[in-house]
Amino acid sequence: MIKFLNPSYVFKLSGKLLSLFKAVLLPIVVVGLIFSLFLSPKDYIQGDTVRIMYIHVPSAWISLLSFAAISFFCILNFLFKLKNVTLIYKSLAPIGLTFNIIAIVTGSIWGQPTWGTWWAWDARLTSMLILMFFYIAFIFSYKFINNSDRSIKACTLISVLGLINLVIIKYSVEWWSTLHQPSSISLTRETTVHFSMLIPLGLMLLALIMYVAVIFLMKYRIETIRIKRKGIRKL
Amino acid sequence: MSFEIFLMDGYGVYVWSSFGFTFLVCLFLYIRTKKTLKKLEKDFIKEAQNLPEEQFEDIRQQKIAKEILISHSRS
Repeated sequence: MIKFLNPSYVFKLSGKLLSLFKAVLLPIVVVGLIFSLFLSPKDYIQGDTVRIMYIHVPSAWISLLSFAAISFFCILNFLFKLKNVTLIYKSLAPIGLTFNIIAIVTGSIWGQPTWGTWWAWDARLTSMLILMFFYIAFIFSYKFINNSDRSIKACTLISVLGLINLVIIKYSVEWWSTLHQPSSISLTRETTVHFSMLIPLGLMLLALIMYVAVIFLMKYRIETIRIKRKGIRKL
Repeated sequence: MSFEIFLMDGYGVYVWSSFGFTFLVCLFLYIRTKKTLKKLEKDFIKEAQNLPEEQFEDIRQQKIAKEILISHSRS
């Protein structure tokens, strides 16, 4: 376990994992796309538009989970000042922002044929938009605040405030009357999505997780090399 | 081959634009990240090679630097 705190071990491991994930990414994406675009059935009410779910839902999950992970690592870094942890959240934030934007845009495209509008100031949509601003503020605070201590404090504050927004996003469809439907997949309740639709959803989730892993590992290596370059310049 | 599979009862434009947007954004992020990584690896090696020989040898002994050199030579 202790070796995972060793930057050189983690860097070497990241190289090996990167090659592995790159090799499996394309086949999973192709299978996932075939299932979600051609093999999965139409919805009896929404018709073919339901296929948007296969990218919209995993993207939203990834953006929420990324922010939760960022908050966890920020608090960890604030308390214990671990250098590796800084690299993790700096690598995760742009990925989370990207999937947040994908979730908003694909949701908007799905909204037009389903609700008859591209956008509504409904609680779920608005709180997802607010999450995007939290991501932007977070990225700005580690990019533009040069003082390391102040940057860590700002990042921690934004991530903790963002955590409150995550709770609002999760329960927005229950607390308020929204255009957005309540969640069909839950860990605590019975899932209301048919098995034939769960397969492409699972495949696309796996494909996007593999993609996230590839980008995350590349970004992790970028941040590590940046630190190493600073070391060289000091020589 | 029937175009019906692509038209999707008139909803094709929504479905394909969603998948297309996602694909383009993911591709852009991938290419940009890879380019940055390769550029940083290259710059790192260049800067290390510009150091006096003794210091360069010291850096080459470091595990991370060694890994960067291997990764860059592979690509």
